[in-house]
Amino acid sequence: MDKPSHLSIVLDLSPKQWHLAAQPGSPHPITLATFLSHLLAFLNAHIACKDENSLAIFGALPGKSILLYSSAAPVDDGDTEPADANTYRPFKLMDSIIMKSITREIDALGEPETEEPIGFVGALTKALCYINRVTTSNTTSGDRGVDPATLPDPRILIISVSPDQSSSYISVMNSIFSAQKLASFDLFYQKVTIDVCKIFGAESVFLQQAAHLTGGSYIDVDRPDALLQYLMMSFLAPPGLRQLITVPTQDKIDFRAACFCHKNIVDIAFICSVCLSIFCSPVPVCSTCRTKFPIKTLQRLNASRPNTTPGTPRPPTPANSLPRSTSIAPQSLPRSTSIVPQSLPRNASNGASTLR
Amino acid sequence: METSSSDTPSHLLLAFLHSQSQTALTRLYQRPSACLSIFRLLGPLERQIVMNLLWLESVIPAATMAAWVPQDSRQAYEHSLSILSRLHLLPRSAAKLALNSTLKTGLRHAIVGGGSSGSFGVPANSDESHPPPSVETLDAYALERWETILHYMVSSGTGRSPTKPSQAVLVLLQRSGLMASVHGGALQITSLGFQFLLHPPHAQLWELLLQYLRMVEERQMDLVEVLSFLFMLSTMELGREYSVEHLSATQTAMLEDLRDYGIIWQRKTSPTRFCPTRLATTLTSSSPPLPTAAGVTSSSQAQGFIILETNYRLYAYTDNPLQTAVLNLFVSLKSRFPNLVVGAITRESVKKALANGITADQIISYLTTHAHPQMRKNKPLLPVTVQDQIRLWELEKNRMKSQEGYLYTAFASQADYEYVLHYAKQLGVVLWESSPRRCFFGTLEGHPNIRGFIERRTAGHA
Repeated sequence: MDKPSHLSIVLDLSPKQWHLAAQPGSPHPITLATFLSHLLAFLNAHIACKDENSLAIFGALPGKSILLYSSAAPVDDGDTEPADANTYRPFKLMDSIIMKSITREIDALGEPETEEPIGFVGALTKALCYINRVTTSNTTSGDRGVDPATLPDPRILIISVSPDQSSSYISVMNSIFSAQKLASFDLFYQKVTIDVCKIFGAESVFLQQAAHLTGGSYIDVDRPDALLQYLMMSFLAPPGLRQLITVPTQDKIDFRAACFCHKNIVDIAFICSVCLSIFCSPVPVCSTCRTKFPIKTLQRLNASRPNTTPGTPRPPTPANSLPRSTSIAPQSLPRSTSIVPQSLPRNASNGASTLR
Repeated sequence: METSSSDTPSHLLLAFLHSQSQTALTRLYQRPSACLSIFRLLGPLERQIVMNLLWLESVIPAATMAAWVPQDSRQAYEHSLSILSRLHLLPRSAAKLALNSTLKTGLRHAIVGGGSSGSFGVPANSDESHPPPSVETLDAYALERWETILHYMVSSGTGRSPTKPSQAVLVLLQRSGLMASVHGGALQITSLGFQFLLHPPHAQLWELLLQYLRMVEERQMDLVEVLSFLFMLSTMELGREYSVEHLSATQTAMLEDLRDYGIIWQRKTSPTRFCPTRLATTLTSSSPPLPTAAGVTSSSQAQGFIILETNYRLYAYTDNPLQTAVLNLFVSLKSRFPNLVVGAITRESVKKALANGITADQIISYLTTHAHPQMRKNKPLLPVTVQDQIRLWELEKNRMKSQEGYLYTAFASQADYEYVLHYAKQLGVVLWESSPRRCFFGTLEGHPNIRGFIERRTAGHA
């Protein structure tokens, strides 16, 4: 049971959103620097748990995604950091490499007039590819029957500050499905768990679904000053351990999808009966599979359309089956906030109002 | 160890720490490197509990924490709490949970940096004339030292005389019961020692170190200093030189011992600096690449070198005398080539091993861990016939059970015989009886009673 675990982090580094997050007027102000200090402590704790634990950090920047740090990469000669008797050297090296690469990337951004959409999907896909390589490299390099106990236990943590880009709905969903199927040749773990930590911004429909479908946990951080405690309690435990000590799960999940034609998030949609593509209004020809629909069907569908305009917010659907903690009712599980002295609103309760 | 089986912690050392006093442990926790190392030795659930509590400033009710634990894993959770409280990391009372404040400070320093304890070792200034040794040199050194010890053990009974390890190592081997001197003569390996040889290197190292720790008191050394030095070594960086200036007197004295085990490396000309070897830096990683196999010897050895066929023939791709000697414990070796040893597992060879105190499970686990990558394609890994046969040979050994007792014969008449036998049966001490021969065998415990009974009877007749 005590096997090494691999953590890939997808870090949302949108300058605009971080700027907004740091404004004193925002509901929970937090600066990037504060956040990074919490994050580095969390990463050190991950490595502290086990010497063999591995780590990869992917940054999602405007218009691109990049690997910021990988524990597998050889360290370029360590003379850059003088050794010091008071710190554990691997931590110091890792922290300095991460900070350097983040600074380098942010400096390279310049100050463009308009910000391109962040390369979130690219970073998520790279994280999945990385995990695929980590989990299969041992098996392909000679023998299939390698002891599964020596393979790392992989998971992804998404740290998000940006709102959903509805245009990336299909690619996000495809990534989720790959995460579910990854490493399925091995019976020991069925999927890559995706955890989501939402630091700033509206509830993300897609990320909620990602966490739900892969058995991960979705946390909307209400108290940025207690961020480290959130990270430790919810995201440090590897998936195997979460059966013994639970992590917060979602009470309600927004299961809505985005339509393929206008990329709107829709409540009620029209589905192609051949290829299951989603459309916000009845179409004569399916844009995906070119199936032609009879004109009579179109008329009937148009007649039966509800009067509400597509895209109206609707309370999220309750999650009908929670993957974990079957013996306890979900409501009786404490939230991460119950550790924080004050009682705070639950993270999912404001889901409907912020979804716009 | 001393603890009961249901309460076994995840590492040998933790059981040793359990037996230490609270003051000693608190002194140990003052060093961030010790906090980090002990944290790594804990089981996964204990680690998570510690991490959950580490960043909290206030005490939290135990019920709040317990609410995170599903009903069916309550037992594991309670077990983890008891391990933590025996290490004095958590208070014994169950109502409130808070980490030991010394550990909390130490572990926080280890994770986020800071403090001024210097517990991660003071690096030596770089010296142009003596560049630090390469990782290969260190690995070769550690391997050579470690194999000298093992090789000495394995060949002690065979009459050959390999290089002797230092006197301190010999004392340690003797005290740990791995070797014993027979009739005041040369040291001979014991059955415990044979079992030791088949353990993975990581376990072997800790067994010796634990024995070292147990001997610390009588050598007038400070246990906390010794432990914290070991932990400091485990957090040091391979291939870097450290200065001895800041070490205490106890720790300087340890340098020599640890050099004999191959845990640290020192240049003869510059005793003011030392280097930890891979044996040291992997002390707290639980499943390391075998420290002795990862380095100089070919990489195939790290993956295993033994091919075992269903016809009991065994091919070992090795030129390492130690590995050959260990195989010789339970394999009858037939021929030897520069890179290959061929042998067969026979009834005699396994019986010899069993007589030495090695169990069938140990043989099988040794073969499994050292199986050649080619073997790993097989499912199951080892041929079932061979596994079963080894186990059967072990059972064979247990076929005969000996019991001490007395044989009662030469009864004057059948009636006499039956009378005594009836009495003995009532006592339940009869092991075997033969009515035609008028004799029976009784246990040792029953003898005084039966003897008294017969004597009373003959006296009555007379």
